[in-house]
Amino acid sequence: MTPLVDVLTSRYAYVLFALLLGIGLYMIVSSQNLVKKVIGLNLFQTALFLFFIASAYLAGGQAPIVHHGGKEATYVSPLPQVIVLTAIVVGIAVTAVALALLVRIYAEYGTLEEDVLREVRSDD
Amino acid sequence: MSTVESLRPLLAVAISTVAIPLIVASYRRPNVRDSISVLTALGKFAIVASMLPAVLNGDEFRWSLGTYAPGVEFALRADPLGMLFALLSSLLWVFTAFYAIGYMRGLDEHSQTRFFAAFAGSLAAAVGIAFAENLLTIFVFYELLSVATYPLVAHDETDEARAAGRKYLLYTFFGGGVLVLGGTALVYVLAGTTTFGATAQGLSTADPTLAKAAFAMLAAGFGIKAGLMPAHSWLPDAMVAPTPVSGLLHAVAVVKAGAFGVARVILDVYGPDVVSDLGVGLPLAAVAAFTLLAASVIALRQDHLKRRLAYSTISQLSYIVLGLSLLGPTAITGGLLHIPAHAFMKLTLFFCAGIIHVETHTDYIPEMDGIGKRMPLTMTAFSIAAAGMAGIPLVAGFVSKWFLLVGAVQVNEAIFAVALLVSGVLNIAYFWPIVYGAFFESPDGADEKPLISGPLGGREGPRNIQLLKPAGSHGSHGESSGMGGALAGSSDGRDDPAPLEDGEYAVDRHPSDHAGDSATENDPAVAAESDDSVDVGDDSAGHDEETIADDHDDHADHAHHGGPGPDGWERRRWTGEESTWLMLGPILAVATGALVLGIVPYEAQFLELVEVIVEGVSA
Amino acid sequence: MTDPTVAPVLLIALPIVAAAVVLLAGLRWPRSGWPISLVALVLEGGLAAWLASAVFGDSGRLVHELGAYGRPGENEFAVGIELVADALSATMVGLIALIALSVLAVTRRAGPRGVPFYAAYLMLIGGLMGVSLTGDVFNLFVFLEITGIATYTLVASNRSAPAAVAALKYLIVGTTGASLYLLGVGYLLMATGTLNMADLAATLAGEPSFVDGPMYTDPLVLASFAFIATGLFVKAAIFPLHTWQPGAYDEAPDGVTVAISALVSTIGAYAFLRISLSVFTPAFFEATPIVATVIVTVASVSVVAGSALAVMQSRIKRTFAYSSVSQFGLVVLATGIAVHPDAGASAAEAALIGAVIHLVGHAVVKGGLFTAAMGLALDSDARTIDDLAGLGRQSPVLSAAMALLGLTLVGVPPAVGFLGKWYIVIGAMNADLWPVAVVILLSTVLTLAYVARLFEQLYFTPAPSGDEAGAEAPADTSDDHAMAADGGNSADDGTEEHLSDPTPGAPFGVVAVAVGAAILAILLGFAGAEFADALEPFVTEVLGQ
Repeated sequence: MTPLVDVLTSRYAYVLFALLLGIGLYMIVSSQNLVKKVIGLNLFQTALFLFFIASAYLAGGQAPIVHHGGKEATYVSPLPQVIVLTAIVVGIAVTAVALALLVRIYAEYGTLEEDVLREVRSDD
Repeated sequence: MSTVESLRPLLAVAISTVAIPLIVASYRRPNVRDSISVLTALGKFAIVASMLPAVLNGDEFRWSLGTYAPGVEFALRADPLGMLFALLSSLLWVFTAFYAIGYMRGLDEHSQTRFFAAFAGSLAAAVGIAFAENLLTIFVFYELLSVATYPLVAHDETDEARAAGRKYLLYTFFGGGVLVLGGTALVYVLAGTTTFGATAQGLSTADPTLAKAAFAMLAAGFGIKAGLMPAHSWLPDAMVAPTPVSGLLHAVAVVKAGAFGVARVILDVYGPDVVSDLGVGLPLAAVAAFTLLAASVIALRQDHLKRRLAYSTISQLSYIVLGLSLLGPTAITGGLLHIPAHAFMKLTLFFCAGIIHVETHTDYIPEMDGIGKRMPLTMTAFSIAAAGMAGIPLVAGFVSKWFLLVGAVQVNEAIFAVALLVSGVLNIAYFWPIVYGAFFESPDGADEKPLISGPLGGREGPRNIQLLKPAGSHGSHGESSGMGGALAGSSDGRDDPAPLEDGEYAVDRHPSDHAGDSATENDPAVAAESDDSVDVGDDSAGHDEETIADDHDDHADHAHHGGPGPDGWERRRWTGEESTWLMLGPILAVATGALVLGIVPYEAQFLELVEVIVEGVSA
Repeated sequence: MTDPTVAPVLLIALPIVAAAVVLLAGLRWPRSGWPISLVALVLEGGLAAWLASAVFGDSGRLVHELGAYGRPGENEFAVGIELVADALSATMVGLIALIALSVLAVTRRAGPRGVPFYAAYLMLIGGLMGVSLTGDVFNLFVFLEITGIATYTLVASNRSAPAAVAALKYLIVGTTGASLYLLGVGYLLMATGTLNMADLAATLAGEPSFVDGPMYTDPLVLASFAFIATGLFVKAAIFPLHTWQPGAYDEAPDGVTVAISALVSTIGAYAFLRISLSVFTPAFFEATPIVATVIVTVASVSVVAGSALAVMQSRIKRTFAYSSVSQFGLVVLATGIAVHPDAGASAAEAALIGAVIHLVGHAVVKGGLFTAAMGLALDSDARTIDDLAGLGRQSPVLSAAMALLGLTLVGVPPAVGFLGKWYIVIGAMNADLWPVAVVILLSTVLTLAYVARLFEQLYFTPAPSGDEAGAEAPADTSDDHAMAADGGNSADDGTEEHLSDPTPGAPFGVVAVAVGAAILAILLGFAGAEFADALEPFVTEVLGQ
């Protein structure tokens, strides 16, 4: 197998992570629409979540939930799971604030396109 | 030799700092405010002078706040070299304090409170520089001095003043915040300390390239304030400041702080031996020699009195730097002695320029012909100081220049002695015309001054000299009005004022530039007549007038209305009628000081101090 | 409660709980935000003082294990989150507590006020305290985001639309930065398996038995540092990642600008300092010399570019904002020197102390400058630099404070701005980083270029005519008039004079904070040596392997 195929088959989660990251970043940078920028931001963060989860993966591992008197078993690493849970919460909070700001901007200017916005504001 | 822990160096610095809030607080009562200013000056001088006897005996006073940065204390120490500068600044501040009151009130200046407060702050910083015990402390006060003097330079709040202020800040902060700080840090890195007298050892064993770089940065950083070329151009521009500022700060405290810094660097940071080993003294001496010659040459062509004095200052400060950088004991003595000598003389000159400005609003040298009649005492003091500048015996400048000359020959650098002598001749060349014009010419009977009124590079042939008299006069004085009357009489019925329009251009917009048709203002008919009757010379005269007018357009923004009145200079008696004693007193006192320094230098303490310093350095 | 190790927990929990209390109490008593915040922040100040006295006193470094999970074994990783208070965090905690109270005073009458503001503001303080005290790299991310979210809402808290646009821009860039940081944390976790800073440092150094040796040159670690540094540079607004900052500073309500300028970017720079020193440690930079070179280069560019951009601005707040870009460049530059492989012990020590002093000093100075700008805006509606013309006479106290703080920023001694610069330049020279030393020295002149414009307008430009207070042309003033209009002096020493009552525009709190900042900036300049001594144990610990 060529190395490329090897990566694509065994590390596809990381490939997906890199793709999502790139797409998210591209949207943030290039999109003129503020909502799309926020979506790009979310995509960017989602890529990170995927990255963490993928890094915790262990072949044959169980979810790291240890029942009372838990037995010896293979668990996936719990730490990234916790991180992702927390990061999701943070991400939601950020998105909520972003949406609130978007509503405010739309109410004032009637547009969410950055170039139009720039024009409108330069008229003030 | 002992070191006494004492508050006195701190008090000397702090007294004028404390005065600032008092001055500001009393802004509604000018008399109280100005008294505070004078009392502070007296107090400062008293504190500094009280340390003099002990310092002459080899004791030192020291005060320390404690560690400021690792290995560096924030400390003040009154040693002989510091005393020299502190004594000079505080003594001359006493005179300037009186003079400034007279000047500011005489001109009804705005923002007087800010002026006096900033002045007090500048003096605090200057004495701080004098007493600073190490390079970092000196840097602290050096920067504060730049800050405190900025309001004085930009005082006028005009575009010109702001531009001068900007330039001033740029130059001094580049010199201070970049070069001096860099040099100080480098010395600290190389020697592990910045205390004066303790660094030479470390520097002599350090990497010579870095030691040289540090020397170059320090010398250039202090040199910017001392007006070393090519970084001198802030000084003439800073002359937009009120004259007491030009006098005390830009001839004594600030620029001398630069020269003093160079002295500290050469004598106490490196020591003459290390400087000589590193071979950095000669380049500095060359820069100084170039500056003192070039500035003198430039001064020749300055027609604004204060600017001419500024270039003279640049030239004279280089005497000090030159003396120090020649490294021989005699040369150092000369250089250090030139600090007080030049201070007394230049302060006199600036005071004279200021009083002329207050009394007659005259700033330009061509308008000063015959002013000796109007201001006899002032111009006498001016002449004495000018003679001193040129190094004529019995005035302060001679003594220091003598030491410098001997010192230059001693270290086998006779070329610098030649430079000094040439500069002396140039000094005469740019001061003598002012003195001569003041006493031996009159507004309408002055010789041509080709150096300032002619185009740069000269011109062929002396054409129409009599029409080119640069001194302004449009009065109807005896001879010309008589002629005008005769002309008017000979041309009956032709008194149509219309032709005046033709003759009006450059001449009437710049009446002071033209002396030819002197009766025009009073009698339009005469103007018409003379326009016609002097047909032959008119073309060339008109041409010349335009040239001159262009030349003077440069300072049209001054809106100056100086020069003699329509009747020439009125005569004032020698008993002080010419101005107020608030200004005349300081002028005469400082001029006397210049004479005392020249006749009995030892009794004036300064030479003794200098010898103590030089002994200390050589030992 | 005599064990000072609970102080870090309380310091973080108190403002967050208070934020919730404000929100709930606000439903019933809409005007209760101020008193609750005041009580909370005064208590916070007390806690900060307690912590500082413990850390700088006998206890030294304090560690609190949240939930007391401890470590399973002697040489194993910590399970729970640790809060760590050492000299650096204690300094930050003190700074935050002080500025938090000051901002409360500034906004008391000048606004913004109201329940949402106080709640978000307390959240901000909680987040900042968390960043300062946490000993866990992921926890640091969480607190960074709490800080961030609170800041985004605060920027938009006056409900103006331009502020909302600026806040959204800040949010997008800031969150991207934080996400990059998180990505770096992920790489670190993959490489080492822990998130605890102390454990990370030990693992990267190859101490635990299960690693083969130092991991500094591991590509994963290198990439991790690159992401973390980039993310934190965004937060600290280092050129060219500063784009969010001028808009946010400019459009935010004045009182909020004071808080974020003094604290938010500061905490970003602190985080960078903390991660560089306590996680990656100088040994990492020793093993990969290129990293320190890159940091120093980026920071140098930031110093120069920030100043250059500041000169080109016409609005006061934007000028100060770009100035921050330059000043944080200086802090990062100092960090880069401190960890530079060419830097010997003395150079690193000097640079590190310089970085901390400059970080603290800049926070005080910039907060004070924005407060003074706010006061002048309230007095005379001065928003652009040209508007400042003649205000030296109209608002003498605020103008004097602004002038003094401006001089401090330039680095005029003996104020604190100079002291930091001195240490940094000594560090650079000792490390033989000559071009860097030149940049630091030149930054004086660059800063002067924009500060001098302020002076010129404040003191040496007559107010535009038609404005009754300063309308006289200098030439034709009668003496009396000149005396009365006279006042204000930009003199240099620590004395602050109260010439006349400030015009009713700026409330007392604003004036007092501006003046207090100016005085503090000068006093701190003299406290530098003591502070350096107090930092000494910390410095030798993080540098002296």
